[in-house]
Amino acid sequence: MRTIVAASAVLILAVLPVAAPWLQFVLTLAIAKGFAALGVAVLLRAGLISIGHAMFFAASAYGVAFLARAGINDLGLLLILSVLAAALLGAIAGLFLVRYRAIFFAMLNLAVSMVFYALCAKLYSVTGGTDGMTVPVPAVFGVVLGEPTFKSVLFYISLALMLLVGLAIQRYLNSPLGHALAAVHSNEIRLEYLGIPVWAVLLVAYVVSAALAGLGGAIAGFAIGRVVPDFAFWTASGHLVLIAVLGGIGGVPGAFIGALFLELLHSVAVTVTDAWNLIVGLTLIVVIMFLPQGFYGLFSRKEASSL
Amino acid sequence: MTFKGISIVVARCLSSFDLLCRLDRGLPQSNLRLVVDGLVGALAIGVVATTPAAAQEKPSSLGLGIFTFTSGPAAAYGMPGKNAADLMIDEINAKGGIEGVPVSATYVDEAQGAQGVIAEYRRLAGDAKNQVMIAALSSANCLALAPLAEQLEVPTVGWNCDTHQLLMDGKSKYVFRPNGNTVPEFIAYAIYLLERKPDVKTVAIINPDYAFGHDAAKIFTAALKALKPDVEIVAELYPKLGSPNYQTEISRLTTVRPDVVFSNLWGADLENFVRQATPRGLFASSQVVLALGETVLQRVPLPDGVIVGVLGDGWWMSPDAGANPETVKFGGAYKARFGEYPVFPSIKMANTLIYVKAAYKAAMQKNGGKWPTRAELADAMKGSTVATLTGTAQTRADNDGLVDQIVGVTVKTPAQQFPVIGDMVRYKGDSLMPQAGQDPLAWIATLNPEFAKSLPKPGSYK
Amino acid sequence: MSNAIIPLLLDSLASAALIFFAAVGLTLVFSVLRVLNVAHGSLYSIGGYVAASLCLFIASRQLNPYLSFAALLFSAVFVAAIFGPLIERSLVRWTYGKSEAVQILITFGLFLMLEDLQRMIFGVQSFYEDAPMRLLGTLTIGGVVYLNYQILLIGMALLVVISLRLLVNHTRLGRLITAVVTDREMAQSIGIDTNRIFILAFSLGVFLAALGGALATPTSGIAPGLGADTMVLAFAVAAIGGLGQIEGAAVASLIVGVARVLAIYLVPSLDAVAPYAAMLVVLLIRPYGLFGSMTARRI
Repeated sequence: MRTIVAASAVLILAVLPVAAPWLQFVLTLAIAKGFAALGVAVLLRAGLISIGHAMFFAASAYGVAFLARAGINDLGLLLILSVLAAALLGAIAGLFLVRYRAIFFAMLNLAVSMVFYALCAKLYSVTGGTDGMTVPVPAVFGVVLGEPTFKSVLFYISLALMLLVGLAIQRYLNSPLGHALAAVHSNEIRLEYLGIPVWAVLLVAYVVSAALAGLGGAIAGFAIGRVVPDFAFWTASGHLVLIAVLGGIGGVPGAFIGALFLELLHSVAVTVTDAWNLIVGLTLIVVIMFLPQGFYGLFSRKEASSL
Repeated sequence: MTFKGISIVVARCLSSFDLLCRLDRGLPQSNLRLVVDGLVGALAIGVVATTPAAAQEKPSSLGLGIFTFTSGPAAAYGMPGKNAADLMIDEINAKGGIEGVPVSATYVDEAQGAQGVIAEYRRLAGDAKNQVMIAALSSANCLALAPLAEQLEVPTVGWNCDTHQLLMDGKSKYVFRPNGNTVPEFIAYAIYLLERKPDVKTVAIINPDYAFGHDAAKIFTAALKALKPDVEIVAELYPKLGSPNYQTEISRLTTVRPDVVFSNLWGADLENFVRQATPRGLFASSQVVLALGETVLQRVPLPDGVIVGVLGDGWWMSPDAGANPETVKFGGAYKARFGEYPVFPSIKMANTLIYVKAAYKAAMQKNGGKWPTRAELADAMKGSTVATLTGTAQTRADNDGLVDQIVGVTVKTPAQQFPVIGDMVRYKGDSLMPQAGQDPLAWIATLNPEFAKSLPKPGSYK
Repeated sequence: MSNAIIPLLLDSLASAALIFFAAVGLTLVFSVLRVLNVAHGSLYSIGGYVAASLCLFIASRQLNPYLSFAALLFSAVFVAAIFGPLIERSLVRWTYGKSEAVQILITFGLFLMLEDLQRMIFGVQSFYEDAPMRLLGTLTIGGVVYLNYQILLIGMALLVVISLRLLVNHTRLGRLITAVVTDREMAQSIGIDTNRIFILAFSLGVFLAALGGALATPTSGIAPGLGADTMVLAFAVAAIGGLGQIEGAAVASLIVGVARVLAIYLVPSLDAVAPYAAMLVVLLIRPYGLFGSMTARRI
């Protein structure tokens, strides 16, 4: 039953842009943010809240822009390299950051990401400052495409990646390494007594989450065609956490449900009202208070993880 | 079968949603029908709706996407642009619209950042009714939208895109600028400054931290160095766009005691800077050049003798503007409706709409009175010469614009409560522009004092 | 360079004073309620908006311009009296004892709502009223003209540090707060009305934020987006000083002020990086901040 629901959801996503072409951009962006929110959700399972993951999102998008400037012009290669760059950054930052818990973890992530943000915004000669950098249209498997075609290809590649990466993350979360995350949340000391190195569990999770945010950032960079420092501002990080929590951290689909819900709602809302943040803020508070498992909790039969 | 059923339901829902979204913009019912049918049709044949290629019947209304800042610190500069667009569009529609087609504008707030602006541009461009985009105010957004305009083949007129990077490659087909660019705009200040203050030795620069600020500093510095090689730049500050507080920067500027302080801050940033710097004596200790100073004349009290200009010829009180009854009428109507006289962003916007209107006229003359396609419209803009409220906007083969540059200093006048621009000069647009395709900075380096002598002098424009 | 030291120092102090008010409110709320209020920056800008509106009103009615000083103070009290109890009772109280993630997200939701409410009430245009700044005039130190208003701000910041210290150490309320901070359960069991303390402490935090915003308006215009910028800067200062430390916030404001001013004087291209770089360095060495410690919770 759940497979059917999931399959038809993906199918609907696949045909939506045919019906309404302007939705394609919105949906691509939603999937991109879904990846990043999934990264945040992985850490939230361990009870760690990062208000700095937009840094990896932005780092990867900047990575694409720099690599493209250096002459690399293949979508696959750019995606892989930029995600690796985000993962590497995640490994370096993670080495320091996974030592901390609770508010200190949140704070340090924020600090690192704001240094990154400020550097991107101020190093005008390197990063183009607040104007950002162009992300050009790359070749796909050696084929040079026009802009509209590329955007369609990008959308369907993102959709496919959503399925593939989603399944991979599902397996990771169901592996002992993934279950250890919840154990960190509930009782870290017990885990240490069992001989499981908590820092290694968390470092793996941190790198995975950084790579996911990086994948999202690269896709967003391609979709928008430009990367700006605002990608890494703290409110962007806050929005990633918000998406993860709205969707629910109990399962992989949660992040994507949250992202799709928000982006579609946004498309509707901007034409009717200016009070978009008011709606989102209120939704967030209501969901946390009355629906701690997020929207995913509505679909999930078994008890899913909550905050 | 089920799949087809679902898709049709989805399409219907989306169409009606599309319908809802458009209701508040007050489009006639027939168009809504058109949108619905169009979308369902597009689904049925599985084709992505794109711009119709052939010339078509006159539509019942012409949509314009207008991009400007309507919120945040930059709105102090962006709103006068929007106000002017509102006024101009009402005037155009009162006279029956553009070639008989009423105009309606959709405003996009640039304060939402590049991501949102790009999304909005795509959404508007996806609707064939929106034939022209008037975008944008911030050079960052201009640079972000320009490739999109080429890809989606939508004529896009940069009403305030002054960065010389915009059309540098000379390959633009759909992006136009009926304005000068940063090169003539800031060379003009260097020349004017040296004419008025020939013994200037030290200069400090405080510009906003993005392309416009950095480009202007580069061009202004290069021009000064070319015309007077012993000028020294003693401080260069680039506060973040939208900074509310400049106290430390002002201390820094005062401690280096420069002969000249140059700034192209704008919007509320400029108002904040002037308000904080005036009591702290910056205007008394240095000759200040405020490149966008005209925009704040009516809002903050500027002392006499500050070098200001309008980045082009858009000074509503200039002799040429005063001689044009249309301009005088526009200034009066603007004051009556918005409580302030127009500032140069208003004039730039009004001139841009005149430019678009002229392009429609030219395109329809060329194709025998049929309503032009987007491509035909772009074609009509290329190489055009349009009489504006304040002068002429000439479009070169590389789509870059040539307009005159007016620079002057603030002076008191009994006619107004606020200072106006006096001791003006009007440099010819082409005299300060490098040839198409020429590297601007290399061209600036070839300038010499003889070149400056050949130009009109301060006070010559009366 | 030596003749630049006095202006440099004064600039640092003035810059520190501006950010101190917001930071100390944030840190105070955290120490008592153990909640990091992400909406704190919005309360700063609301304070600014109310103050600017009041001062504009005074100017438009041509009342005595010195009234605008009272208006600055009054608007902070007004914002604290309205928003303090309202937010604490409706949202923040619900998060006590819940995880940091919940607390941060609830206040983040509040932040989003307040940002839009400001747009609805006060519009999106930048506005200001500089009567208080103009009334006070200027003075020249080391060849640089300063606004007396800047000096006043430095004095106000000092006054706040001293009064908070006096409040905590020498008043009944202060002792009650200290008791709640040290051991919440014990305080409750000996009959202290912790709910009242929470409302009071939260409102005091709101007051300090709003006061910061109100005091900033005479020199700098106020516009959408200010809340988000202030929030993260206040947060950096509070984190450097150690969350919950009043003197820590004061010293950290100075550090951030000096870092920013030095950057503007020496490497202007890095001015915006300075505060966050300082935060990162301090937190990596002492994650609990300069004055903070893991175990003993002082105020």
